[in-house]
Amino acid sequence: MNYPAWDVPHIGSGWVIGSIAIFHVMISHFAVGGGLYLPMAESRALKKGRKDWLEFLPNHAKFFLILTGVYGAVSGVGIWFAIGLASPEGTSTLIHNFVFGWAIEWVFFIIELSTAAVYYYTWNRIPERLHLKVGWLYAGASFFTLFIINGILTFMLTPGAAWLEVAGSGQEASRFFQAFFNPTYWPSLFLRTLVCVSLAGLWALVTASRLDGNKQGALKTEVIRWSFGWLLPAFFLMPICFLWYLYQVPESQSQLLGLGISTIGSGTFTQVTRTALITVMTSATILCIAYFVAYRNPREFGFGYAVCLLVLGLAATGSTEKAREMLRKPYVVGEHMYSNGIRKTPVGEPHISEVEKFNSEGYLTQSLWATEEERVAWAEFDHAWNGGVQLASETLGPQVAPETLRRGELMFQGQCLACHTRDAYRSMKNFLRDRDLTSIRNMLGMLHDYKEDSPYRAFMPPLVGTETEREALALYLNEMAHGGEQAQPAEPVHQVARTNN
Amino acid sequence: MPKSSSRALESPPPSKVWTFLDERLGLSEILEIARHKRVPQHTQSFWYYWGGISLFFFLIQAISGVLLLVYYRPGVDAFDSVRRITYDIDFGWLIRSAHSWSANLMIVAVFVHMFSVFFMKAYRAPREFGWWSGLVLLGLAMTFGFSGYLLPMDELAYFATKVGLDIPTSIPVIGPIMGDLIRGGPDVNENTIQRFFALHVVILPALFVPVLMFHLFLVQKHGNAVPPSEEAKPESERSSIPFFPNFFAKDLAMWLIALNVLALLASLYPWDLGPQADPLAPAPQGIHPEWYFMVPFQVLKVFGNWFPGLTGEIMGMALFTLGGLIWAVIPLYDMNNKNAARARTATWIGFVVLATVIVFTIWGYSAL
Amino acid sequence: MSDSPTDTLGPLDAGLEYDPLSRRKFVKVGFGLFGACYAGALGYPIYRYLNDPAEEAALMAAITEVSLDAASLDPGSVLMFRFGARPAMLIHHLDGSWASFDAVCTHLGCTVQYETDKNRIHCACHGGVYDPVSGHPVSGPPPRSLRKYNVEVKDAQVIVSRA
Repeated sequence: MNYPAWDVPHIGSGWVIGSIAIFHVMISHFAVGGGLYLPMAESRALKKGRKDWLEFLPNHAKFFLILTGVYGAVSGVGIWFAIGLASPEGTSTLIHNFVFGWAIEWVFFIIELSTAAVYYYTWNRIPERLHLKVGWLYAGASFFTLFIINGILTFMLTPGAAWLEVAGSGQEASRFFQAFFNPTYWPSLFLRTLVCVSLAGLWALVTASRLDGNKQGALKTEVIRWSFGWLLPAFFLMPICFLWYLYQVPESQSQLLGLGISTIGSGTFTQVTRTALITVMTSATILCIAYFVAYRNPREFGFGYAVCLLVLGLAATGSTEKAREMLRKPYVVGEHMYSNGIRKTPVGEPHISEVEKFNSEGYLTQSLWATEEERVAWAEFDHAWNGGVQLASETLGPQVAPETLRRGELMFQGQCLACHTRDAYRSMKNFLRDRDLTSIRNMLGMLHDYKEDSPYRAFMPPLVGTETEREALALYLNEMAHGGEQAQPAEPVHQVARTNN
Repeated sequence: MPKSSSRALESPPPSKVWTFLDERLGLSEILEIARHKRVPQHTQSFWYYWGGISLFFFLIQAISGVLLLVYYRPGVDAFDSVRRITYDIDFGWLIRSAHSWSANLMIVAVFVHMFSVFFMKAYRAPREFGWWSGLVLLGLAMTFGFSGYLLPMDELAYFATKVGLDIPTSIPVIGPIMGDLIRGGPDVNENTIQRFFALHVVILPALFVPVLMFHLFLVQKHGNAVPPSEEAKPESERSSIPFFPNFFAKDLAMWLIALNVLALLASLYPWDLGPQADPLAPAPQGIHPEWYFMVPFQVLKVFGNWFPGLTGEIMGMALFTLGGLIWAVIPLYDMNNKNAARARTATWIGFVVLATVIVFTIWGYSAL
Repeated sequence: MSDSPTDTLGPLDAGLEYDPLSRRKFVKVGFGLFGACYAGALGYPIYRYLNDPAEEAALMAAITEVSLDAASLDPGSVLMFRFGARPAMLIHHLDGSWASFDAVCTHLGCTVQYETDKNRIHCACHGGVYDPVSGHPVSGPPPRSLRKYNVEVKDAQVIVSRA
């Protein structure tokens, strides 16, 4: 534990990232797709000499500028803050690898934001052809922001064999391009570009819905039908790109999806599969609605419906991103670092991984977050443990030393908190509700042994630490799940506010 | 003539099946009526869909409910059969989850529908019976929710029902007798499940469906109400679209969205089944009824704290009855567009009620 | 309004509308397929849901007897095997008797294991414990006994069968 644990109650740190990222994805993809939409629409309007289009487009551009330039940019930075806190080890790996990549990304951002502003504010003020060129410059710059960030995002799922060879050696940056153009880079770039294009159409429908169908019927019809066309490439090409993407994902990961499909219906029907199916369904719904409501009756197409489409779009992109994140389990950087920041790749001398190191030396021994007194108390606990003192469940409750619970809590914060919360999202209390201490110990034992056939291997990292550390975690979890109630089960602890009599 | 804003969807060429059915059932006459019926089109038209959305969720309830009935057993086996549905039967978790989620979504849609009707003043003459039948439907829907909540007989269901039944039981004099009748004994037990089951799958549907038909008949008879802002406009500035196929298509599209939202929630956030109810176990902390009963629950709790004993209960009950009564008689008070002062007062009442609902719900949850 | 479709379309759309009949057909077939997919997505879970008992019965009926080369199994140890599609266990008790059970926990369907040292059947998922002779639940959440199979020892073979 080099870094403090970011303990976000109820929702967990993952959802802090998630709740920013879901909107960010929606808007940043719009920034790229819309960058293409605006100059293309403008150039068509110029060629056909359509004054009404040239009056409509600045409105869309204004909305676009505010949304992407303000919310898009700010939420992007927000994600950075959040991931740095939620997964410091993972973020550090990314920075060590891609610091130069981010420098390039930053350059493209600057160009993107400046050209967006120039594009909007020079409307009707500079020659049309020059204005259009600014638009194309924006489109190029924004596409390259996607081009760069895509390398970093896909790296986390599939770092590639070349990079894994040098992972943890300090020489990672020497494989920059191998890591950047990793196995899922190209399919992902195509998928994301398609999403960008369809989101450009979706957002254009929102602006177009604000046109008055009675006064500007012809314009509204045209804009809506033209924008509808932007939805189509994605719907026809996405399945192909998706299969290509899956083909590149390592088998251990993609089998999570296959497992879900083969066991569909029963409880093990995995969440990745459910999410993927929902995405397909939502995309189909969007196309249906966009066709029947917007395309067939463009003049009546209202803002309420446009927002509904947008919300469906949000659900579709949100669940896709969630599925992609879940596909990465149990790693944060595929095959290299587990989701709780523990490295799997062996490094140094002796050539062992962090898993082995922590198992033999202890997970918390070098933690910066334990005080000297705590270390002394832990040593006493270890001593008693090795001396064979029975810590049976009957003597639990008040008998568990606070230092031990503190040690268990640190273990929990370090190794569980990345994915679980105590009482709400993936609630530990809920998972442990029916388990007594013995059963908690069994469970932790299973996670620690991490045998080949363990069902948890597919989505959970191994539990690391010495025997006494794991025991402290078990005691802490038992305390959390049952709150010492087990010690005095006969006494009703909580009274119903009012009783019926 | 009101402007229509678009051409109608083209109708398919008549097939043999259509001709066969049309000659015998007179389908084209119905279609003709539907084509002539027009739905006003304005900035607040979006709220017109919420009645339809509520109806859609009700249909989902009916279908998924019948499917659950295939494996559900009331009485002592209740928990076991729900566990079997949730964990053993293929897709049982999905059907159960869809049933629970659509129940909640239906209540949400009904509330949106009710408040939008209220603020658009769609309760005014001649639509009073629409308002009243709607309130009856709301009451029945909430009873559906309450009775259905107990049926899995897990820990949460058991204690929430126990606590929820405090509301009717606290009615002075007749309350305790009613409580015993509802529960089938002094405590929630197998008899209660059996009763609630009968209520949930026989009595309530038998009451709900005719009232729903009446409600829909009134909508058909009087058409969609327009809000005062539209009424103020001259006839030539209002616009409308044909009910069939334009509005119908949009309604269906809304249903598709609703289905999609339901599928998303039901499959990604499957409904949990708690441990089996144990009457002897201590109630888990923070037990509370479903969210749509939070307002009466919290009102009674607050008044019970302020005025201990019977006084608090009576006052809470009285306040609640009074509120419900005012809510129901609004159409008789704010009757038409001519009395602007009354119309304003009614709007204020609406705001107060909405604020009360929101505040007490949040208060209720934060005070758990 | 009774505009024909082309009236409402501006010049930008002119290219899209040249052959209205075939396009209509395309849209019709396309959305027909869409509809079929939706119907399938709704119908398939319902079909599987209603058909579950039949599937279960078919699965059960498929195999009624398994013979294992297990007569040499040491007393006090266990053999895990597949009975049809389900995991099952054969226990040779220390007193020489045999017992065989379906190895799926009746609580939430995890695979149970026989713990030789404690002479009990244990489910690691939620800590359920069963009696290794009768299969009855002893402690923890399991609601029912494990399904018990008949065991017959013939020469070197142990024949496990369903009643």
